[in-house]
Amino acid sequence: MPVIKKELFNMEYTLHVIYLLCIYIMLVLSANLTTGMANLLTMCQAAFYGIGAYIGTLFLFQCNYLFVVIAIAVMLVTGVSSLIVSYASVKLKGDYFVLATMGFQLIVYTILYNWTEVTNGTYGIAGIPGINLFFGAVSLDGIYLNLAFVMLITIAVVLFLYRLKNSPYGRLLKAIRNDDITVEAFGRNTASVKIWAFALSSAIAGLAGALYASYVGYIDPTSFPLKESIFILCALFIGGIGNIEGPICGAAFVIVLPELLRFVGLPDSVAAEIRQIIYGVALVLIMIFRPQGIKGKIVMK
Amino acid sequence: MILELQDIRLSFNNTGQERLNLLNGVTMSIPKGRVTALIGGNGTGKTTLFNIISGFQNDYEGTVILDGRDISRQPAHKVSLMGIGRLFQGGQLLGDLTLMENMKIASEDKTGEWPFTSFFHSNKVKRQENDKEERAREIIRNVISEKYVDRMDRLGSEFSYGEQRLLSLARLLMGKDDKLLLLDEPTSGVNPRYISLIQQIIRKMTDEEGLSVLMIEHNMHFVSEVADYCAFLNEGIIAKYGKSGEVLSDPEVRSSYLGL
Repeated sequence: MPVIKKELFNMEYTLHVIYLLCIYIMLVLSANLTTGMANLLTMCQAAFYGIGAYIGTLFLFQCNYLFVVIAIAVMLVTGVSSLIVSYASVKLKGDYFVLATMGFQLIVYTILYNWTEVTNGTYGIAGIPGINLFFGAVSLDGIYLNLAFVMLITIAVVLFLYRLKNSPYGRLLKAIRNDDITVEAFGRNTASVKIWAFALSSAIAGLAGALYASYVGYIDPTSFPLKESIFILCALFIGGIGNIEGPICGAAFVIVLPELLRFVGLPDSVAAEIRQIIYGVALVLIMIFRPQGIKGKIVMK
Repeated sequence: MILELQDIRLSFNNTGQERLNLLNGVTMSIPKGRVTALIGGNGTGKTTLFNIISGFQNDYEGTVILDGRDISRQPAHKVSLMGIGRLFQGGQLLGDLTLMENMKIASEDKTGEWPFTSFFHSNKVKRQENDKEERAREIIRNVISEKYVDRMDRLGSEFSYGEQRLLSLARLLMGKDDKLLLLDEPTSGVNPRYISLIQQIIRKMTDEEGLSVLMIEHNMHFVSEVADYCAFLNEGIIAKYGKSGEVLSDPEVRSSYLGL
């Protein structure tokens, strides 16, 4: 999570938090598509978030004319990059799949960190241009326009996933989560269904990454480490898996909670540590007392 | 003949050193429109043979022919679409899906099961969904009972084990193109009232739907009542094959399998 300034009751800062909340709603929902709906516990959501951010940055620098084209390109590139891990690993079971995705996450992080000619390594890339919706006619400057835009995109993602969940494809994912062998015996290629879910999920995470990069204006690899993937999963499990409300609740919990802690008046260094402890304790308590999460309906198998 | 197995052999490394031959050349033919029982002791490879036929196990030697077409070593989802339905050992309904969703997922029609099709072809998807719902109700009404038609919105996990077994069997009828059904111990763990219903359903499958059935079963009374033919798998080969009555009264089968 990015480090954020501490200024109580600052309107702009509050909107900034809401912006981050939208980004995390998309990230947690994207993780839910694989982990919650297709039963593929993934540890590389931050990798796709990062790929989206860097690819988005590249496009924003090179051809910032029509954001819809950039968004589609970013989603395609992240979706296709997901095939590297999904094609080889969706047939792996349980722990092996988790390890494969973790490996992918570490590889992506290492590349972002060390391929300095392209990513600028640890120095990161600064001065990323804001989004240009239509050939310079509509440029997103300032928090208000950016926030309005990201909210629109988040609503679109929520509606898309809601419709997907209630479509025959959503039913198929639910069936695969129950028992993929039975579904295979009904003539469904479960591997290809999972690969699609994985690609869609990474495309959404990639889109979130591109929006984040254009809004913050600066990215470096430390925003996309394994810790971030685990953080997204924590939010998912706290909120609940398998439906749409759960991930939104989870994202709200992990983003809004630290802001509430600010009112307690803890010093910066302590607050950061306390936040981690609270996430850990919340996760343990949820697993024990409400394994389906705050708003989830199903228990992860 | 609906299914022909030609010289099916399967062996694997046991404890890393010894080579264990599970199937030593299984050759048999399953007649069309009839019920054939596959019997044999535990660990003789009956379920493995089912896995081979339905594409879940592909590291074997030999040939599997379904209705004149070689289906050897095809992946399971393709074998299913070629006309083989399967009830797994202990297999039940998908617990998080309603009974209606369970029925729909068993249909070979995949309209709308692609991430974007429900957005771009919503009318077609709606039409197909309605057709599937109608067919599902019709099957449940005809094969089991009207009372389950009113329970189509219940989750699979809310039905008792016996009910789930019955409904899973009926669910196989959603596959319009199925030719052969593989039933792995359809009566295991099911109470006697449901066993007679299962018997009726299997009869309907062959007599009214024109399907062929190959079933693994340990309930010999059930086998003698339902199966037209019987194959006895012993030491990796079909040791006896013939009319059920003949096989079940064979001295070798009685002594080595039934212990009589």
